[in-house]
Amino acid sequence: MEGEDRARAATARPGHLTALQEQLVWALLESGLSRDVLVQAVGELERSRAGAERAEKGDGESSEEGEMDFPPPIFRELEKLPPDEASKLRAEVDRLLQEDPWQVAKMVKSYMQQHNLPQREVVESTGLNQSHLSQHLNKGTPMKNQKRAALYSWYVKKQCEISQQFTNAKHGLAPAEEQGEETKKGRRNRFKWGPASLQILFNAYERQKNPSKEEREGLVEECNRAECLQRGVSPSQLAGLGSNLVTEVRVYNWFANRRKEEAFRHKLALDTSFNSQSASSSNATIPPSPEHGVKYSQQIPCEAGSTARSSLGERVGRLVVSPVQLEPSHTLLESHNPKLVSGSGPLPPVSTLTSLHSLSASPASSQSLIMASVPGVMSLGESSLLIGLAPTQSQTVPVINNMGAGFTTLQPISFQQQLHAPHQQAIPQHLQGHMAASPFMATMAQLPCHMYNKSESPQYHPSGLLSQAMVITDSSSLGTLTSLAAVRQILTSDPDEETDSPLQDDSLHLQSHTPVPASTESLELYPSSQTTERHQSHLLSPSPSDISSYMPTQMVSTAQ
Amino acid sequence: MAGKIQTLSEEERAHLLPLLRNAQWAEVVGRDAIYKEFIFKDFNQAFGFMSRVALQAEKMDHHPEWFNVYNKVQITLSTHDCGGLSQRDITLATFIDQASLM
Repeated sequence: MEGEDRARAATARPGHLTALQEQLVWALLESGLSRDVLVQAVGELERSRAGAERAEKGDGESSEEGEMDFPPPIFRELEKLPPDEASKLRAEVDRLLQEDPWQVAKMVKSYMQQHNLPQREVVESTGLNQSHLSQHLNKGTPMKNQKRAALYSWYVKKQCEISQQFTNAKHGLAPAEEQGEETKKGRRNRFKWGPASLQILFNAYERQKNPSKEEREGLVEECNRAECLQRGVSPSQLAGLGSNLVTEVRVYNWFANRRKEEAFRHKLALDTSFNSQSASSSNATIPPSPEHGVKYSQQIPCEAGSTARSSLGERVGRLVVSPVQLEPSHTLLESHNPKLVSGSGPLPPVSTLTSLHSLSASPASSQSLIMASVPGVMSLGESSLLIGLAPTQSQTVPVINNMGAGFTTLQPISFQQQLHAPHQQAIPQHLQGHMAASPFMATMAQLPCHMYNKSESPQYHPSGLLSQAMVITDSSSLGTLTSLAAVRQILTSDPDEETDSPLQDDSLHLQSHTPVPASTESLELYPSSQTTERHQSHLLSPSPSDISSYMPTQMVSTAQ
Repeated sequence: MAGKIQTLSEEERAHLLPLLRNAQWAEVVGRDAIYKEFIFKDFNQAFGFMSRVALQAEKMDHHPEWFNVYNKVQITLSTHDCGGLSQRDITLATFIDQASLM
């Protein structure tokens, strides 16, 4: 037929629609299909066809549900149905795999911070080890390609989800809400305050500590707007914030907690000034037992005898490791409390030590805040151990453990960790100056500083300083220093099975073989703590350098 | 399906058929149906037209009898359920006319 020639000619144009295709497409569009529906439908059709194909080939790593082991079973993004989208994603993942892992890690990390995504979610859906993940993102610890592929797949998929959420929010639809929601996990990710919101809240708190409902609602709006902006999204697409959406209740709770904190801080301040003069330990038994609060430093300056309750902090550096505290110090510290400061009566308010302090306008206040939460600190008098926290991301919540009596021998050391460079530099020197006071501290000073320099201090990474903070222990625990290296090695090898932690380089080369058994007990604490890296307020420092922050604690324990 | 479809009443026929006749629809001899032939520039146009009609037919759940050879499309409309012309045929005829103009 004469038509055949024309048809052949028509198909000779690659990349363009043939006339018939045009006609057909046009017909489809005119039949009431919108462009979007059409595109989606195309996707679905391709998916189902490709799915059928793949089922034959038995391709393990593609959109089929992963099997155990290979690929990782929790590879949720692999559930991807749409074949064309899946291939797009895969292409993107491959591209990321080609790039420098550290650069990509930074990207992923900052994305997570931007959207306040918990590491837990990544871990759940990729099957990666959380410690390894954290180290990779924060410190550049190497990660094998297959695992990186899993991570990048999650990342790519998450970006889609989130942009979908924001788009759907526009249309008033309830988005699929996939953020870390697994029915087994009880649905939603835990809410977390973003840095932008915190700033707003702190400013408001300065103005008025007790906002009315209207004011709270205003704050809700402001915060949500700021959070959307931080994520680069139009301020009215709230649904995209997902579990991190700010509500009045949350604002109300935040204010309530801050007020409690302040009251507590005030009380501590009173006690502190009183106690710094008296060496006796009045030892008001501080109720806060470890159960209280994973969130705050549980130091409870107990009676000398009450070992179980001794404040964690006793000889421990100011760093607080909240998970460690969960088992209240007894595991870590001996309680030498004779010179312990009497604790303040009431429990430290929730999240006293939230890093938010650093966001507050006055360092001084944060300083006192920190002190407040650390009853033991009182013995330091005005010297404020400031553990400033990264103003930006509140991921790192400095939890300050109290230190107990040991402080008497300590020099007051104050450092503020700010992200600003000048501060950062000041710190090491600062430390050393103080450190010089006691010999072992001088040695110790190296370590933290070293680590500090080594650790990445990108925008959201506040931790470095904390490691320095740890050092405060008293001279009698010099012996425990030796365990530092050992412990550290043990610790660092723990989370990351693949490589030697770079931290190891930093470890003091004292005696390398220290009482391992003694330290192992503290080791046990780590696994739990590691997993909570990103949780609010209990953790001292979110970054892997946390391990070093744990060190002092460990050291103290071995001194038993 | 809806209730039994009915053929056009006499009044309706008197009203509608002249309009259709104007639009070049012919009444088929020997059955209660209407017929029209469309000629297009080429097969693509013809088939595009047919696609549009087909989509609409599906929507209406009312299908034409038709024949196509290259650029020619011959369509006969009648309703099987009632054995003659019904309102659906009229609706479809109107749509077909529109589609052929696109």
